[in-house]
Amino acid sequence: MKLNAKDIASGVILILFAVVALWLNQEHSLGSARRMGPGYMPMLVFWVLMVLGIIVLGMAFFSGPDPLQKWTGIDSASLAAAIVAGYGAFLLAPRVSSYFETSYGSLGMGMLVGFLVICWSERWRLIGYICAGLCIFCLLLEKGGLMLALLATIIVACLAEPEHRQRPLGVVGVSIFLLALCWWVFIKQLDIRVAVWPQF
Amino acid sequence: MDIINNLAFGFGVALSFQNVLFALVGALIGTAIGVLPGIGPVATISLLLPITFGQPATTAIIMLAGIYYGAQYGGSTTAILLNLPGEISSVVTTLEGYKMARNGRAGAALATSALGSFFAGSVATIFVAGSGPLLTQVALSFGPADYFSLMLLGLIISAVLAQGSVVKAIAMVALGVALGLVGTDVQTGQQRFTFGIPELSDGISFVALAMGMFGIAEIILNLERPESRSVLKTKVGSLWLTKEEWKRATPSVLRGTALGSVLGILPGGGAALASFGSYMMERKVSKGRAMFGNGAIEGVAGPEAANNAAAQTSFIPLLTLGIPANAVMALMVGALIIQGIQPGPRMVEAQPDLFWGLIASMWIGNVMLLVINLPMIGMWVKLLQVPYKFLYPAILVFCAIGAYSVNNNVFDVYSTAIFAVVGYLFNKLRLEPAPLLIGFVLGPMMEEHLRRAMLLSRGDPMVFVQRPISATMLAIGAIALAAMLLPNLRKGKDAALSG
Repeated sequence: MKLNAKDIASGVILILFAVVALWLNQEHSLGSARRMGPGYMPMLVFWVLMVLGIIVLGMAFFSGPDPLQKWTGIDSASLAAAIVAGYGAFLLAPRVSSYFETSYGSLGMGMLVGFLVICWSERWRLIGYICAGLCIFCLLLEKGGLMLALLATIIVACLAEPEHRQRPLGVVGVSIFLLALCWWVFIKQLDIRVAVWPQF
Repeated sequence: MDIINNLAFGFGVALSFQNVLFALVGALIGTAIGVLPGIGPVATISLLLPITFGQPATTAIIMLAGIYYGAQYGGSTTAILLNLPGEISSVVTTLEGYKMARNGRAGAALATSALGSFFAGSVATIFVAGSGPLLTQVALSFGPADYFSLMLLGLIISAVLAQGSVVKAIAMVALGVALGLVGTDVQTGQQRFTFGIPELSDGISFVALAMGMFGIAEIILNLERPESRSVLKTKVGSLWLTKEEWKRATPSVLRGTALGSVLGILPGGGAALASFGSYMMERKVSKGRAMFGNGAIEGVAGPEAANNAAAQTSFIPLLTLGIPANAVMALMVGALIIQGIQPGPRMVEAQPDLFWGLIASMWIGNVMLLVINLPMIGMWVKLLQVPYKFLYPAILVFCAIGAYSVNNNVFDVYSTAIFAVVGYLFNKLRLEPAPLLIGFVLGPMMEEHLRRAMLLSRGDPMVFVQRPISATMLAIGAIALAAMLLPNLRKGKDAALSG
């Protein structure tokens, strides 16, 4: 049997999404076809989604072999570890410092830890460092100011590319250029409302 | 003559210092990202959306439009010189254009492409100006049921024309509509699927969704591929066309313009479809068809004219009906809504400066692009030498600041990271993100029209087949879906969009 693993995974994701969404939609009143309540359109859409998911799943038997990339043990382990560590950090962060209690600090800390832990495996390293860069930007922005947040983001993002790790001088050049560019575009020209330098 | 008065008014708007400046900025950025493989117009426009919020709506849209058609010019430069299509729409240009360059006629190919695009752009501008107001009149007679069916048709066609499996594309559309439901229900004020997060009561951030799925996910996918930089080996040579080349290119440009203008209007159509369609046509009907495969100028002239014409006429459904024809237009809808303008048939009357200013700016932008591209070609080729490892941190920080500055809220940046993961996963599963974006934009409007239509018909769903306009739309949609069951058509589509 030549199954299309990508279609199976897609179909399962769609069906799961639809089931969870339909379950969540129970709290919204449906109304009638004439006077639709807030739950009517969602119900229609989620049922359509469910049917489409089933069709995609069914097509997997005919659309030829299309295997997913094989995961190594480290790939699965780092994914599991990232989820556990991220959730742990999410719970612990507000207890460590009140800094994480505002503006989604604990969510950010959880995501940051998760994305960094997942970099353990070669496969997830790119996505891990890039997304970690975004999270560290948010965590530093309000207290650390735009410049510090950008610097941290650039350094973390540059970890994703092996060549940068070998030649750190390039990272320094990129950082200086981007800090100057962002200052000129966003502070000088567009004047976005954000702290530029660290606040104490 | 109304149209002349209106165009004159439009030029008055478009020629203001600020608007000319932003049209130029858009054209320059568009050319740059067109030249660079790995950054497309969708990612760039979502990246720059937040920057435009501080500007008046007209200026913002003029700049974003410049990026879109500028990319069509830039993409052909690298296609011809390096056999490296900068955009999907210039894939077919590599077939004949690169051969021409190898034959020592690189300059002629570039000139053909730029002049053909310019001609097509000019004609398409007049076409948009002429047909826009007419279509608007038609659109004003549409009831809610007609609108709903029209949007459904748009979604179906954009799914049918997407890459890969049609069922998966339709599923992506439905998923987009589903994500669009998050937020406050307009009629009852009830919070739907917000999980108590106040930031979600206005719905999922459009900028975060687009940036994550296109901007950030693309960075990761580009980094995964080993970088291959080709070096310019061919000389550009004379930009002038010989008399014979003029004679051969002209009819192809005319045909390409006509085909591109029509294909651009179709929902789900756009530059990529037009350039491929034109290439197929030229290979069949042009006088030089025997030369195809060895550097036929017709194979450059036709597709290049077609993709530029289509890039401009794809604004027609947006400006007249408020319906995005492709992912770029979905971003334009997002930009307009954030500016407080509901795109639709009332835009011509309510925002005449936006409507006519945009149309006039398209022509001005095309003049600029001609200047930007032909004499300055060497500079753009140099741009290719910037390695991606230096480019991606820049894209990332622009995304971060951009996503933050929409609402001055870090929640949008976290959402961007989450959508980046989702976009990456979808790519691995061969699920196309473009139909999802269109569904996300159209979803809330569809719900409103559906509710209104059903209220008017007292809950009778037959209203969708009883009204002639609505019934026609649904019939076309059904035919489009049925057509995809024919294996030959499906193969043709895959070949057309696989580039």
